[in-house]
Amino acid sequence: MKLIFKNLNVLRSTINAISTSMEVKEIVEAAGNNLPNLFDFSSFGVFWKEDLLLFLYEEESCPPDFTQEVVKNMINVFSILGEESIPAERITLQEEKRKLRPKQMMMDPKATLKSHLTLPLAAEGEILGCLSLNSDQPNAFDAQDLQFLSVIGYQMAAILKHFQRYSSIKDMATYDTLTGLYNRRSFEERLEVEAQKSFYGGIPISLVMVDIDFFKKVNDTFGHTEGDKVLSKISSILKTSVRKKDTVARYGGEEFILILPEADLEESFIIAERIRRLVENTLFEVGKAQLNLTLSMGISNFPSHRVKSKEELIKMADQALYDAKRGGRNKVCIFARKSSQWTVPT
Amino acid sequence: MAPTVKKDRGGKWSSDLVLDLYSNLLTELWEVVSALIGEAILALLFSLAIRKLGEKYPFLNSLEVSEEGFSLEGVREDYRTVAPLEIHRGFQALINQLSHLFSALADGVINKELFPKVFSKVKEAERIISPK
Repeated sequence: MKLIFKNLNVLRSTINAISTSMEVKEIVEAAGNNLPNLFDFSSFGVFWKEDLLLFLYEEESCPPDFTQEVVKNMINVFSILGEESIPAERITLQEEKRKLRPKQMMMDPKATLKSHLTLPLAAEGEILGCLSLNSDQPNAFDAQDLQFLSVIGYQMAAILKHFQRYSSIKDMATYDTLTGLYNRRSFEERLEVEAQKSFYGGIPISLVMVDIDFFKKVNDTFGHTEGDKVLSKISSILKTSVRKKDTVARYGGEEFILILPEADLEESFIIAERIRRLVENTLFEVGKAQLNLTLSMGISNFPSHRVKSKEELIKMADQALYDAKRGGRNKVCIFARKSSQWTVPT
Repeated sequence: MAPTVKKDRGGKWSSDLVLDLYSNLLTELWEVVSALIGEAILALLFSLAIRKLGEKYPFLNSLEVSEEGFSLEGVREDYRTVAPLEIHRGFQALINQLSHLFSALADGVINKELFPKVFSKVKEAERIISPK
């Protein structure tokens, strides 16, 4: 009876630790830290389907072959449960080794998987992954172990479901659904952070405002569905033409905006010009037709334009874009306070 | 203890009687296994097993399974058109498939608990319904 009370207390604190976790890795760690007080095991694993992540919490002396066997078994059980086979090479394995056993009970380097308990992580009828307790000892687990593990699994699945929901809400609030680019709200947030960094650190930052020339004609002639395809195609050109640290966002309609941290005017101009040429040389399949489209772009920069706020930076990029439009389109213009501007002849 | 269902007046097993027999066996299986792994996972395993066998034994698709348990009552009418031996084979396949899933999940832990309570009765049912 005393043992059951002790186990129930451990179970309670395990569930509590899982419930207060903020990410999958934390859940696994929370469980992993508590489970040795409940079970004798060699490794404990959690597979999360959504990110194809397999976390393993293992005894320090666990040999690599044993790990591979556990991974294989978990994928196999998940395939049976989820009725879908997942190639092992697509799964990212994250291992954490801990001292789970006393020195005299270290695992044999040739140890093999002798027993396991693997349960689906299921919530609202959906299989989110699976969790598994594994041992190099035969018949290492009994019915009570299974009961405890299932209670832990239920709690884990509920929290994972919550993460899944939260992440899809977060995605909706962050990205533009058509193009997959950052939406205007996230752009404003990111600009706030980047502009602060630049203004206080004296580090350059550029904004590039982009507009598709005569896009209204595409929509009017071919319809909005075809227009949307053009927007998606141009978005992917923008995404693949910038540096890793840059931000590409849909600003509205056919307007896009790029944040280029640490980029001076010259570098920003090179990036913008590369994009302009790339779009100019791309044939867009619109309906049954093939079209050439062009972009107009306006650049503003700190410190070159002596801006004091992010709002000013946006306003200047917008003014430069207006100048590019007025100057005949298919142009990159740099903001100028008076009439002098750098433009590229087309 | 052997299953408590009886032959009908003609001395043959009716579909209803076979259904009663398996209803009792599955209820027992549900009680034992849900105590080990919980109702939600068990319902999921039932659904998997039914999906796997539904093509060969279409009447199994009418079995209603949820976290509250399973029900044969609503579909009893459909079963009357199926031969008792076919019902027996379908349910036997279902129990075997579940047992296979239990093994995949927990080696022998679940089946060890089930053996004395359910599997021995399945064997008894097999002996009574389709004697060789």
